[in-house]
Order: sequence, then C-alpha cells, then structure tokens
Amino acid sequence: MHENNEDLLGHDPADLVRAIASRRDPAAFAALFDLYGGRLKGWLMRSGSSAEAAEDLVQETLLTLWRKAELYDPGRASVSAWVFTIARNARIDRLRQDNRSKQYLHYELVEPEQPERPDVLLDSVEREERVRAALGRLSDEQVRVVRLSFFEGRAHGDIAASLGIPLGTVKSRLRLAMARLRDLLGDLT
Amino acid sequence: MTITHHPSDETIAAFASGALDEARGLVVATHLSLCAECRKTMRALELVGGAMLDRIEPEAMPADAVARAMAQLDYGPLQEQQRWSGSPAADDIPAPLRPYELGPWRRIGRGVEWRPVDVPSGRDVRVFMLRAQPGTRLPRHRHKGDEWTCVFEGAFRHDLGRFGPGDFDEADETVEHNPVVEDGVPCICLVTLEGGIAFQGWMGRLLQPFVRI
Repeated sequence: MHENNEDLLGHDPADLVRAIASRRDPAAFAALFDLYGGRLKGWLMRSGSSAEAAEDLVQETLLTLWRKAELYDPGRASVSAWVFTIARNARIDRLRQDNRSKQYLHYELVEPEQPERPDVLLDSVEREERVRAALGRLSDEQVRVVRLSFFEGRAHGDIAASLGIPLGTVKSRLRLAMARLRDLLGDLT
Repeated sequence: MTITHHPSDETIAAFASGALDEARGLVVATHLSLCAECRKTMRALELVGGAMLDRIEPEAMPADAVARAMAQLDYGPLQEQQRWSGSPAADDIPAPLRPYELGPWRRIGRGVEWRPVDVPSGRDVRVFMLRAQPGTRLPRHRHKGDEWTCVFEGAFRHDLGRFGPGDFDEADETVEHNPVVEDGVPCICLVTLEGGIAFQGWMGRLLQPFVRI
C-alpha cells in the first residue's frame, strides 16, 4: 500500500535499531527515517500539530532513537510502539514552557525500579500478531473510539460531537474496548 | 498495596497519548508509579499505538528531511540510560514528584497541613500535597473543575468509598464530598485542582485563602 512497506518487509525494524546500537550504522538510521518519518508526521498532524511542528518533532524523535538505540528492549515493545512513545514524549516536552521537569513522564520513567518482566518473552513477530489480533477482535466502533481518544488524544465530548453519538456511548465503548485490550494484551506488557 | 480506585479509562488514554497537561499528568504518573495494573494498561495502549502508527496514512516529509537529520547524528558514546533509580526515596516521595520543588508544610486548619508543589502550568491548575491527621473531617466542598488525588499514606473515606495508599480519586465538578481521614496514621496525598474549590462551613472559609487559585 505504501512505498515504505518495502522497507517494512525487507528489514525487521528491530534489526535496524540493533545496527544503530551496535555499530552506529547511518544507513539503518536512514531506513528507519523512511519507515517512520511520514507516519509520525501523519500521527502528529492528526493530534493537532502543524505540518512544521510535526516535521520538527519527527527530526527530534528519530535523533532520540539514534541516541537511545541501546535502550530499546525488543522483549518489551515493538519498534513501532517504542517510536510512538518517543514521539509522544517529544511532544510532551515541546508543550512544556519550562525545562525543569522535562522527561519526568517518559516511558522509561514510568517504571518501578524493579520492572516486572513477563514470564515468557514473545518474539516481535508473535507480539505484532497478538496486537493485530486483539484490535481485530474489537468492533469497528470500538477501534474508532480508541483511535480518536487515545491515539489522537481527543476529548470525549469532542469525539461524541464529531461522531454524532451521545457522550455516554463514547465512554462505554472506550471502557469496553480497553477492558478487552487489557485482557488480550495484559500478559504481553 | 491493594489499590481499588484507578484513573478512568479516558484519563489513562489521555495520559498515554501525551494529551494531559503537566499538572494532571503528574498525579496520574504518581498513581502509575504505585500501580502495576495501570502500568499494564498503559503498556497495552502503547503497543496499540505502535500498531496504529504502522497503519496510518503517512504524510509526505520534505525531500531534505533525512539529510538534515543525518547531518546531526552524533557518533560519540551512547547516552546513559536514564531511569528513576538514582535518588533514594527522600521523605518517601514517589519518584515522579522528585524533580519538583516542594514548598514547606503549612498548617491551614486543625489537623490539616498543605505544601505547594511547583509545577509550571499556564492553566488554571494548582498542585499541592495535603497531610491530614487521623480523624480529621475535611470540609464539605464542591469543585469548579477536576480535582484529582493520589494517596501515598493513610486513608480517607467519602461517599464513593475508601481511598488508601496508591488509590486515585478522580472527582469532577459534579461531585460534592466530605472526606474523613481514617484512624491510624496521617493521610498524605497529592492533589491537582483545577478551577478552585468552593468550600462550605467555617473550615472552608479558613482553607479558602490558601487553596484558592
């Protein structure tokens, strides 16, 4: 569907991250930039960033990925989920007017000092399958509400207005969808 | 720690997407640092975020974007891992609060002390800690906006149940409540308050000047 998919199929993104971590491979960086740049920009613009701000945040996200490649833990998250959290954190920082408390809410920081590990670590392909399957088991309406509420960060009142459904329906769909995702994905996390 | 009250799904979703302001995000982060179940939910959402990112329609990036990024690559040593580890728990302050400046405790009424948390916020929001002695009855009050609380120690009760260590109380402007601190140890909590509080009664009048935004 997208030209980027060739990269997606050609390389496991986790190998690209590993190539950066182990040997500072700029070609791997370029491949990850191609793979995620346009998608991140699409996500950021849907969650309210201007095109320019989104492009800046894409730069920042990929540069952070370069610097933190060694911290990527394939046992815990897909590269896409990791990239998503880096971009989210970059956006949080951007919204702060003050530098003092930057980074406090970050993904790796919302972690107890002894992180609980899943009993069995799935490989990334298996985990992707599970996430896809979990989303497939939600109704289209539930996926739409999860996407708007969580992925695009929109308020429930706003979602109700744009879908033309009552606020209570938005809340109950999200609640059911999240309970489902917790059930289906809880052991992965 | 048995936690029975958690942030709503809407709140966890907003936090996981980065849409919460810093003040409210801080109370949620504090709860997450104490609640394995909500960390699980957050992780599940992040995996979903990754899957959604894979599916999204890309927006075209400028032709020189990759080259610009590559010009900035640093080939020096890798960045040190940043985690909360370092600082030992001073005062038993949960980790997310540690980067913030905490004001002195000040008595604001019988059995109640208040301590401001310096969170930069452009909005009509205030963050503070409260320490209330066992048996204290906090004045009945209504909110003009959200009032989110995370308990660290001790417990209080009101119409909606008992709130002990780790519990998250997410009250909005429709709630009018009258918390009572349980017997035993003082109750210490972190509160983010939006839009001020309307207190009733004599203690309310006493608290008002302090907690007023």
